[in-house]
Amino acid sequence: MAIMMPASDQAVLARRAEIIAALRAIVPGEGVIDSAAEMRAYESDGLTAYRQPPMVVVLPDTTEQVSLVLKYCAEQSIKVVPRGSGTSLSGGALPLEDGVLLGLGKFKRIREIDFDNRVVVTEPGVTNLAISQAVAHAGFYYAPDPSSQIACSIGGNVAENSGGVHCLKYGMTTNNVLGCEIVLMSGEILRIGGKSAENPGYDLMGVITGSEGLLGVITEITVRILQKPETARALMVGFAEVEAAGECVARIIGAGIIPGGMEMMDKPAIHAAEAFVHAGYPLDVEALLIIELDGPKIEVDELIARVEAIANACGSTTCQISTSEAERNLFWAGRKAAFPAVGRISPDYLCMDGTIPRGALPKALARIRELSEKYQLGCANVFHAGDGNLHPLILYDANKPGEIERAEAFGADILRACVEFGGVLTGEHGVGIEKRDLMPDMFSEIDLNQQQRLKCAFDSQGLLNPGKVFPTLHRCAELGRMHVHAGKLAFPDIPRF
Amino acid sequence: MDTLRVRDAKDVEEVVRAAIANEQPLEIIGHGSKRSIGHAMATNAVLDVSALNAVTSYEPNELIVTLQAGAPLGDVQSLIDAKNQQFAFEPMNTAPLLGTPMSGTIGGMIAAGLAGPRRIRAGGARDHLLGAHAVSGFGDSFKTGGKVVKNVTGYDLCKLLAGSWGTLSVMTEVTLKVMPKPEAERTLLLRGLDDAAANKAMTAALGSPFDVSGAAHLPKSELRAKVEGLGDVAGEGEPLTVLRLEGITASVAHRAGSLRELLASFGTATLVEDGASEALWTTIRDVLPFAATGALGAWPVWRIVCPPASGAALGTQLARETGGDLIYDWGGGLIWAALPPKSDAHAPVVRARVSAAGGHATLIRAEEEVRRDVDVFHPQEPGIAALSERVRASFDPKAILNRGRLSRGATA
Repeated sequence: MAIMMPASDQAVLARRAEIIAALRAIVPGEGVIDSAAEMRAYESDGLTAYRQPPMVVVLPDTTEQVSLVLKYCAEQSIKVVPRGSGTSLSGGALPLEDGVLLGLGKFKRIREIDFDNRVVVTEPGVTNLAISQAVAHAGFYYAPDPSSQIACSIGGNVAENSGGVHCLKYGMTTNNVLGCEIVLMSGEILRIGGKSAENPGYDLMGVITGSEGLLGVITEITVRILQKPETARALMVGFAEVEAAGECVARIIGAGIIPGGMEMMDKPAIHAAEAFVHAGYPLDVEALLIIELDGPKIEVDELIARVEAIANACGSTTCQISTSEAERNLFWAGRKAAFPAVGRISPDYLCMDGTIPRGALPKALARIRELSEKYQLGCANVFHAGDGNLHPLILYDANKPGEIERAEAFGADILRACVEFGGVLTGEHGVGIEKRDLMPDMFSEIDLNQQQRLKCAFDSQGLLNPGKVFPTLHRCAELGRMHVHAGKLAFPDIPRF
Repeated sequence: MDTLRVRDAKDVEEVVRAAIANEQPLEIIGHGSKRSIGHAMATNAVLDVSALNAVTSYEPNELIVTLQAGAPLGDVQSLIDAKNQQFAFEPMNTAPLLGTPMSGTIGGMIAAGLAGPRRIRAGGARDHLLGAHAVSGFGDSFKTGGKVVKNVTGYDLCKLLAGSWGTLSVMTEVTLKVMPKPEAERTLLLRGLDDAAANKAMTAALGSPFDVSGAAHLPKSELRAKVEGLGDVAGEGEPLTVLRLEGITASVAHRAGSLRELLASFGTATLVEDGASEALWTTIRDVLPFAATGALGAWPVWRIVCPPASGAALGTQLARETGGDLIYDWGGGLIWAALPPKSDAHAPVVRARVSAAGGHATLIRAEEEVRRDVDVFHPQEPGIAALSERVRASFDPKAILNRGRLSRGATA
């Protein structure tokens, strides 16, 4: 394992049997799993290159149990790793050898659907898609749609601030959640927000969203739901040059059009996807854009025409426009299956997730090509082009000595390039363990210390999901120490009035 | 009292560090347009960021603008307007309501986080702040977020800065998302509805697929004089319910027709377009009926946020109990309440009713003597209050920044 996790606490491991017995007293029956065979299902998440069986798995089914488990662990200085469906692509739910893996999978109930206030109150183990399905009969849906939406839990979505194809127009998870019930590491249960558009005081919901399970364990969530657009149509546009496709994306946005989704694939990704799903993708183009417009039919028809004109002006070589739902879904089929499709052409792949300013796209692609040469590894690229979120898929073979290390070094260089071009390390997959050690490439020590101080406000012992997000862990007392700079309120240079 | 007019982030660091060393809390101001919101502060020097007023970069095709925190809101709005773009959350101009000469800076806009009617569709200031550079109460410059719309790298401290009223950090530079201005707008007007019926009409409209971007209701009022911006549409204090549609011209026309049909049981909607519609929504955004220079200028004003479908029940009760005047926005989820002058601004009844409805209330306008005795910001549950205090201290352990603004009688 290339990533160093916090050292295991031998004193805790020595008391394993006693700890399991105490946890069984809180969560009876099958809710505590301690056999090596059964715990294997929890040893990794979607970042499968990293595996570690936990000390014990606990699957509570009430908020009170979550609270008692956390309180016990806090008192006994036992680390806790929360987990939803385990689809994280950044290792956010990777267990610790000396830690409790706290699974929220039994929190599967939608508690309330309130159409008048346009919200759903749900338990965290409910899948993203199940929320949309529960309100579909009334024409509503939950907008963020990560590609794992069949499996990923809404609790995990909040922890990771998940995005998806449609977040260009409808926002990420953070823009679509209103409130939560959260249990702090101390066991304290708090309710934040609810059905109102805004919460009083500091925006705690906002900072909990995307905190990767480091601040608290969420046991209930209130999400906003929207009416489904009347219709949606898609264009599939091919370009002979990646630069022309990038220009087309910029001009569409520049024309004031915000599509429901705007995705780009490069040649290796197009070929892999076409071989897998036979969506009719053109194979002689360097870049393919899938652009979806949604809204009232009259609006969609007009915007399709405007986008088509822009694509033509940018020198598109092919342009197909969906005329039916079946055709629209076919356009998407290849894009949505891009990851498994790449899995067919390569024994293993690493999925990266940087964001760059849209305008830097050609530059970033050129850099990725150079790096591909340097590391002698293939790379297929899919992008959420509308918001500059890149997903380079680095192809490697784990059975060949040294390839995984080369693939990881290649990936790290891509993410450093994203930062160099004015972007960020992760657009939607989270830092987790995967990008943890790259954080200093984007943030200074002061920046990271401020973030860790916030962590201390929620979890003063640092027991909740340690080893994720931050490359270096500091004690809260050390972070809180203030260096008082000698000085008088003098400021000879600063203008006074 | 000293006013220190900083010129760059280094100056801010220097001033904050000296303030820490001398335990001299600072009041942070831009134009000072919202100084009267909150409690009197235990500060004895002013850190003025209004000279940090540069536009760092504006890239219309990237839909982002990076600004120093002291940039005047009005100037920035003109800048992006020239490229046919806007802040989609429709930031409120508080100057008319509070009776200040200036309409404030970008930093103040974010620190107050007061979004306008389009919040129901586009979100608030918190949803549009992508990144920030700020100086914490440790006297250190830090950054959070970035200059791209999609970013989950590290904790989203931007969310905390938005709406923090300058109590966590001194923002020096911010990156905001901008959005294309709609090609056309139309507003449907329904007349004569009582609050309950208006709430139902707004709920129906917001639950429709017609992408309503504004839903407000002006109840019947004998108190309200004819208000600028309402023009002929308001009549003489008769109830008016307004629903806004924005987008490309053909779509707006189509949706206006469909929405009118959907709401037929509430009466026959009339339409106003473009300029008249814009003026109407500016009136609602800036709460012009309660302007400082108007008939209710001396009345305390509460800003109440609640679950939208409960708005009318809550508002009607408050109006009856206090004799106040109301404006509903956000489909009932935001109530502006001007209440007859009283030494406690009717705080006990407002807080009790609002809490029972699952909402919260901020005393946005009141005389200083009233604010001495009444909590301006909604009191929180003890657990949330304690966590919020720990969060505050994680940025500013010595309470150097805007000490005492958020809670009455606070010394730290």
